[in-house]
Amino acid sequence: MRKYFTVFAASWQDEFTYRLNFILWRFRNVLRFLMTYFLWQGLFSATSTIYGYSRPDMVAYIFLVLIVQAAITSAPSADNIGGEIGSGDLSNYLLKPMSYLRFWFTRDLASKSLNLLFSFIEITLLWLLLRPALSFHYSFFSVFGFVASGLFAMVIYFLVSASARFTSFWYPENTWGLSFLILIFIEIFSGSIFPLDVLPPAGQIILQATPFPYLIYYPISILDGKITGLYLWRILFQSASWTLLLLIFTRFLWRKGLRVFGAEGN
Amino acid sequence: MDIISVKDLKKHYQIAQKEAGLAGSFKSLLHRQYSVVKAVDGVSFAISEGELVGFIGPNGAGKTTTLKVLSGLLYPTSGAVSVLGFTPWKRQPAFQKQFSLVLGQKNQLWWDLPAQESFILNKEIYEVPDAQYKSTLDTLVQLLEVADLLKIQVRKLSLGQRMKMELIAALIHSPKILFLDEPTIGLDVVMQKKMRDFIKDYNRQYHSTIILTSHYMDDVKELCDRVIIINQGRLLFDGQLDEIIKKFANHKILTVIFSKDINPDALKSVGQVREFTYPRALISVPRAETSAAASRLLRDFPVADLNIEEPAIEDVIREVFTGKDLA
Ligand SMILES: Nc1ncnc2c1ncn2[C@@H]1O[C@H](COP(=O)(O)OP(=O)(O)OP(=O)(O)O)[C@@H](O)[C@H]1O
Ligand SMILES: [Mg+2]
Repeated sequence: MRKYFTVFAASWQDEFTYRLNFILWRFRNVLRFLMTYFLWQGLFSATSTIYGYSRPDMVAYIFLVLIVQAAITSAPSADNIGGEIGSGDLSNYLLKPMSYLRFWFTRDLASKSLNLLFSFIEITLLWLLLRPALSFHYSFFSVFGFVASGLFAMVIYFLVSASARFTSFWYPENTWGLSFLILIFIEIFSGSIFPLDVLPPAGQIILQATPFPYLIYYPISILDGKITGLYLWRILFQSASWTLLLLIFTRFLWRKGLRVFGAEGN
Repeated sequence: MDIISVKDLKKHYQIAQKEAGLAGSFKSLLHRQYSVVKAVDGVSFAISEGELVGFIGPNGAGKTTTLKVLSGLLYPTSGAVSVLGFTPWKRQPAFQKQFSLVLGQKNQLWWDLPAQESFILNKEIYEVPDAQYKSTLDTLVQLLEVADLLKIQVRKLSLGQRMKMELIAALIHSPKILFLDEPTIGLDVVMQKKMRDFIKDYNRQYHSTIILTSHYMDDVKELCDRVIIINQGRLLFDGQLDEIIKKFANHKILTVIFSKDINPDALKSVGQVREFTYPRALISVPRAETSAAASRLLRDFPVADLNIEEPAIEDVIREVFTGKDLA
């Protein structure tokens, strides 16, 4: 365990040396927040509810997206794993008594914790600036469910992006295409731009067969009290199942990939 | 006891063929064709504890590939390998804690942090006790004279300074076996010498086993008693350095100083003229004909001085590499 603490600490130091990078990344998230915020403001100027969401509901939703995104989608692993496989730098890790997946998950955690901290500050500032009406309907259970589903979401995101990056084992040069596609899917179908229940029922059913809604939409809906009781447990169970399934799949790809890994370089 | 044993090791790479140009790229995307590179093709050797072995061969011979199989980065195509009793590509932690692979052009240090941070990370990864870490680090830092560089960002170090740091990072866990792939590449002559001294000391003091590849014959001459030569994935030689000459050099070199100008064409009857600038000539003659050639020289030419020598090891190895004179 101690080795991963040290990785965590070193990752923080590393993030600090890339201050500008980090600030720009946070700036991008704030911009995206403002974009969706004003988009919804525009839509709500004509009517008071859209798909059952009142304006304060929707504003609360997109505020929560900012936090949840910080915790779930800030993941340096997604930017690095493919490159390290393609360039052969993965060798450095394979030589050592350490798990590559755990190493990158730890680095993700370090990055998430920093991002989370900043997202709280940003939300406070944005709230002070915009002073919108918000509505929350949380309870003890919804907070518990939110934390649990959020933790699953973190792992699911990691596994989805890691397994997408593992395609570099077979296609060292063109991993970007697939990863980019998956990133777009995540952006749209995880619920970071709009809550997924605004989609037609057929679309919702299709999405439920993918891991995407478990990333952002479900955690937020749980916190917001829209998913309760048995339904809540079902969603948590499905999150856990996706996590397990993806874990098995990722490890399978990893083992297959190492067999064809060329350890390029030098 | 053999600490490393390799039997009939083969590593064949499958590589996807790419045709030139954009159209070719599309074609190979739809319909991939593979070709096989026999990087290592049936190599066997055994190394015992404490040996310092030079592993040499021309570019593309399969040296790095062999070292990568030995350290568990690559799965072999066939053959049996045992290192410290382990099968390398199973990558068991108990095995990984006992060796290090240093690739001259790869870096494991965190680029944006001082080297010291990477050392601490390795200490934790290899679970090195505090006291041992301190004493190992102190020794290495002194030997390599890098005390004042520990707190500087790795990206700001020079190539040679970084190589030293790479070496420290690789040695923090006191490995029993060291695979050094071109450890002196890119170093200036002074640094090369220091690196060599360091490797020699490390081998003696810790009785560690070292396999070293290098394209600098000085490295090999100074460090290695035993040399393994491979070419095109096959073993050409395994033995003492000076045996290479006996085995492969089927000629000797006659160095002649003439007392009067001669007709250089006439020298061709003696042997192959390597060099001629009056008054000195280097003539290569087959081993068996050395004395006959020498007496012919003395009889037919105005010779002031004559020397019969073994060819330089560099020349012999060059010939071995190019596949000449192998008969
Ligand atoms: N990952 C790889 N995929 C495909 N072919 C490879 C790969 N790595 C090496 N090769 C090929 O295998 C052969 C042996 O390469 P290797 O790197 O082992 O040579 P080397 O003896 O270390 O040479 P050098 O002295 O130039 O470092 C070469 O023909 C090389 O092109
Ligand atoms: Mg090499």
